[in-house]
Amino acid sequence: MRLLEVENLVKHFGGVAAVDGVDFHADEKEIVSVIGPNGAGKTTLFNVVTGFFEPDSGKMEFEKLSLVGLKPNRVTKLGIARTFQQIRLFPNLTVLENAMVGQHCRTKAGPFGAIIRPPWAVREEREIADRAREVLGFFGDRLLPMQDTMAFELSYADRRRLEIARAMATMPKLLLLDEPTAGMNPVEKHGLVELIGRLRAERGYTVVLIEHDMPVVKNVSDRVVAIDHGKVIAQGTYDEVSSDPQVIEAYLGKQKATGQQI
Amino acid sequence: MSTRALAGRASVMTADGRTGSTRSTVTVGMIGGLVAVYFMVVGMVEKFDARGIIAGVIGLSFTLLAITAAGTGYMAARSRERAGMATGLASAASAGALAGAVAGALSAVTILAVDLIGEEHVRTMFQSFTPRLIEGILSFGRTVGFGAMVLFAAGVSLGVLGALLQQTAPRMRRAILTGLGTLLVISMAEPFLTQVFRNVTDNFGIPISRDWLYERSGMTVLGAILMFALGFAFSWWRSTRAQRATVSPPAGERSADAAGMRSIRGLVRGRAGKMIGFLAVLGLLILVPRIVGPFLSQVVVIIGIYVLLGLGLNIVVGFAGLLDLGYVAFFAVGAYAVAVFTSPASYLAAEGATTGVLNFWVALPIVVVMAIVAGLMIGAPVLRLRGDYLAIVTLGFGEIARVLIASNWLSEYLGGAQGILRIPPPAPEEWSLRRPQNLYFIVLAFVLIAVFVSTRLKDSRVGRAWAAMREDESVAEAMGVSVINYKLLAFGIGAGVGSLGGAIFAIQVGSVFPNSFDLLVSINALSVIVLGGLGSIPGVVVGALALVGLPELLREFQEFRLLIYGAVLVALMILRPEGLLPEVRRKRELHERAIEEEQYEEQVGQEGLPPVIETGPEERRE
Amino acid sequence: MADDDKQMKQEAAPEPPDVGPGQVQRRLMRLPLRSIILWLLSITLLVGVVWGSWKTLDKGTFTTSDWQSFIVDGVARGSVYALIAMGYTLVYGILFMINFAHGEVFMSGTFTAYFMARWMDQTGFLNSQPIVAIGVLLLVSMVVSTTVAVALERVAYRPLRGAPRLVPLITAIGASLFLQNSFRGFYGAQATAYPQIDILRGAWEFLGWRFQRTEVVAIVGAFLLMAGLYWFIKKTRTGRSMRAVGEDKETSALMGIDVDRTIVSTFAIGGLLAGAAGILFIFLFNQVKFDMGFIPGIKAFTAAVLGGIGNVAGAGIGGLLLGVFEAVGPFLLLEGFNVPSPNQLQLIIAFGILVLVLIFRPGGLLGSTEGDRA
Repeated sequence: MRLLEVENLVKHFGGVAAVDGVDFHADEKEIVSVIGPNGAGKTTLFNVVTGFFEPDSGKMEFEKLSLVGLKPNRVTKLGIARTFQQIRLFPNLTVLENAMVGQHCRTKAGPFGAIIRPPWAVREEREIADRAREVLGFFGDRLLPMQDTMAFELSYADRRRLEIARAMATMPKLLLLDEPTAGMNPVEKHGLVELIGRLRAERGYTVVLIEHDMPVVKNVSDRVVAIDHGKVIAQGTYDEVSSDPQVIEAYLGKQKATGQQI
Repeated sequence: MSTRALAGRASVMTADGRTGSTRSTVTVGMIGGLVAVYFMVVGMVEKFDARGIIAGVIGLSFTLLAITAAGTGYMAARSRERAGMATGLASAASAGALAGAVAGALSAVTILAVDLIGEEHVRTMFQSFTPRLIEGILSFGRTVGFGAMVLFAAGVSLGVLGALLQQTAPRMRRAILTGLGTLLVISMAEPFLTQVFRNVTDNFGIPISRDWLYERSGMTVLGAILMFALGFAFSWWRSTRAQRATVSPPAGERSADAAGMRSIRGLVRGRAGKMIGFLAVLGLLILVPRIVGPFLSQVVVIIGIYVLLGLGLNIVVGFAGLLDLGYVAFFAVGAYAVAVFTSPASYLAAEGATTGVLNFWVALPIVVVMAIVAGLMIGAPVLRLRGDYLAIVTLGFGEIARVLIASNWLSEYLGGAQGILRIPPPAPEEWSLRRPQNLYFIVLAFVLIAVFVSTRLKDSRVGRAWAAMREDESVAEAMGVSVINYKLLAFGIGAGVGSLGGAIFAIQVGSVFPNSFDLLVSINALSVIVLGGLGSIPGVVVGALALVGLPELLREFQEFRLLIYGAVLVALMILRPEGLLPEVRRKRELHERAIEEEQYEEQVGQEGLPPVIETGPEERRE
Repeated sequence: MADDDKQMKQEAAPEPPDVGPGQVQRRLMRLPLRSIILWLLSITLLVGVVWGSWKTLDKGTFTTSDWQSFIVDGVARGSVYALIAMGYTLVYGILFMINFAHGEVFMSGTFTAYFMARWMDQTGFLNSQPIVAIGVLLLVSMVVSTTVAVALERVAYRPLRGAPRLVPLITAIGASLFLQNSFRGFYGAQATAYPQIDILRGAWEFLGWRFQRTEVVAIVGAFLLMAGLYWFIKKTRTGRSMRAVGEDKETSALMGIDVDRTIVSTFAIGGLLAGAAGILFIFLFNQVKFDMGFIPGIKAFTAAVLGGIGNVAGAGIGGLLLGVFEAVGPFLLLEGFNVPSPNQLQLIIAFGILVLVLIFRPGGLLGSTEGDRA
């Protein structure tokens, strides 16, 4: 079943077309990687889909509902959650609280509930904490024992995990991960690949990730989409895309400079 | 290491160590001298002379100058140490002496110059150089020349003392300073304590006399020694306890609590202990009017009003992170609405009526609702503005409110410059609720309600939403928090609480005039919560006590109240921006930079990449 | 990262979408209630302004020469506001903080120079050599104001670079209180009048318009200073450094610019301008008091925001506009509605403009130096 459908999406900033007629889709329980050189428009794509920016034109649908013009909190409610390229946790909240905030879009206790504390509000609060802990538990004993530590005290890799946990707490169907392995060492990257697999296998999430690390892309993806200058230049399995001449050209400089094998 | 420490070092380090250190010591001395001269020029030395600290020994003026001199010596020794210069008593003492000498010389030169020019001439510009100051106080009753010499000598000797103090072990030093501070505080609290003693004797039959502690013009020598000893001992005891705690390493911040919680006994003790503590405090609060007496009850009511204002503003600024400089507007709405509804002199009442249109208690909910609506109306257009801009806009609204209240245009409804008079005390009349001792209980009730509401809100989904908003608005929005609505919520609730404060104010004074509703009220409220610690509820009480209670007690200093206020704010922001009773997390927020840098140094070794910490949107700019 | 987040924080400018009618309709439907209310408010305001003006002119309470004198008064005081506003805008452009205490910087020089003026008056020098005397006053005022400004930066602001917004704001408020009351302690709490300078009495006629001599001096003086500032910023090294540091502090430091010194220069220039503005202010309003800085300070800040905070030319234009609005506005708008004593409400005009600008166009008329909208 097609979960996310993006058709001919265009977004300009000033005179520059960051996203220039992108066609993109994600099917249920797929893991799709979006690759491309820096500045290709990948994060902008995420930003537009999640409502941080309004598109200039084009179609975006999630489970057949149009996303155009929706604000971020509505998008999250529909079932799309994301992480950020530069980790954006709430540094001065505890690990548990960060996850609990993720539950905000699924709960409703307001000021009256907070002040008067009727039974339903108390119950809801307990459920929020329980669900948050459950989500933290997905990461084994990395996050749960630290539930009362401040987020900024976490190590880098744990912060990435917490960001994913927080996204999971919003009970999404689709997870958008923006460069989840950035800054990790090979062991951690491997762990993350496993994690993404488990996200699909155990939780049934659909995952779209922006990634630069090709081995990670190769190991994790069902499908790869390559973007450059705001356009999709190739799409298919990893092998297909990595041997696509346009893709190679887009990366040519990089490959020569870093000697990295695509 | 933090940039501040680096800057501190850099400023004193020079290629040629020796002349550099002399220069810096002289600089410190000059600053100290300027400070002392400042106290003279601004009028403190003269005005403070009326107050004695230790009867027959020293008054406040000279205490002030002495502290300045000793402080100069202290700083001279300290900056020497920081620069890595030779330490040791002799070297520190000489630095202290030099700095003190410079400071003393500056002061001496000043009064000599004034005398030379002729102090009537000087007084045409600097009005503080009265004959009393030059020939009376600073000449120590003799000639000006004599005074100059004493100032110089005192500068040197106190400078040495200050430097020596700096050299003592931290524990001893802290104890000495605490002792001296206690002495000073108790001495200055004389009017307050006198009243309290008297009331306790009269009302509770516990005979406490003030005579062992105070004489007519200050503390007795015995009292001084006792208070010093008290402070000294207390500080010593505390540092001993702290030392012992570090010896047995704490097994993680939370594990102690967790361990305690796990045992059922611990649970009961925790819960029961809290209950008992709470009841004890409540009992004490109820007794307050009888302890402090009728006059001071007035002061307590004012403190209570500001606690209320602080609690309300705390929700806006502390919880939701909105810089509001126009809080007085809601205070005014509360006061004026009560006036208009309950006073027979208001335009709503019939001609020649003896009572207002509404009873206070009936009017109150209407007033609060009006304030909340006003808050929402003001908030709606402006709440998406960023930090500084929001502050200025709200300041604008506050001022607009004041101008409108005072204007001739609206004077038909709001009384204009004449205000609205004859606001009756709240029913029932037999309870004499305008009397401060009784009004106190209304204030107390409102405060308790506000505390309850604040606490409940903070530890809830709403409170979390606010905290998330403070940290990162866009991401909070993505998590489902409707930022604008939550901002409006905070603003509205804050407005409602503020109006309660205004209502009490109207009752207490019995009339409302536009002058009472100026920017200063907003600044007071903001300072109260900043001093106490943003977002910290007990901090609001402490802040109000300090910023509102103290000046009321130290009446002599009325003239300098705002000046000291301003200086305290600046000092507070530089030295301890998290306030006196900060929440743990707030302290971290404000020192995040320092912690960031420390962590960076740690992590770089470990992972080779700078960890990225997203601070709130406000910190985006440097 | 900076771009990413900067972009995140901007709301996309509503470009006309070339999409089908369905989409347009959806857009219209999702216009938030708040927007509608704001639009209603602004239309009401506009109508009120137009109608009030029309009624006033119709009523004919004021003659043409009255209006002329209002306008000239507005330009004169606007010039002074512009000078003070430049101090605000320069500091904001470089440190992104509102120097709340700038009004006190303005006051300190002016009040101190008063004693000079009085002495010169007593010795007769003031009126025998008025040009020189005025020069001396300007000098004294500028020196004192600059000293205060530089001390302010060193003591209160420098330790707080990089702190979250609330902290420097509170510091500035505290500094403002401290300075105000210190000067009250120094010089006394009463309001005093500057001695009159004879050659400044009277008026000149020019093209049928009547200009008070004081107004002419204020306007000309302000313009000269502003021109000087413009030259300074564009042509001198320090001026360039100021612009660079305003753009990117770290890179400037890497390029060898002494950031601290540049910041001090900025404050110093702001102080110079404020000190000069003080003397010009006195020509117009004559009274000194320890709290004289507060209201002009707020008005000058409004002017800076009106023109676009951080934008020096904007501060100039904003100042002039504000001055004229303030002088003409109450009479033009409110007289028509029979509002008594409209000039009491002068301050509301200033604040009203501030609030409106910040709500509808936070970047100001000429655009702010900040890429972000507020």
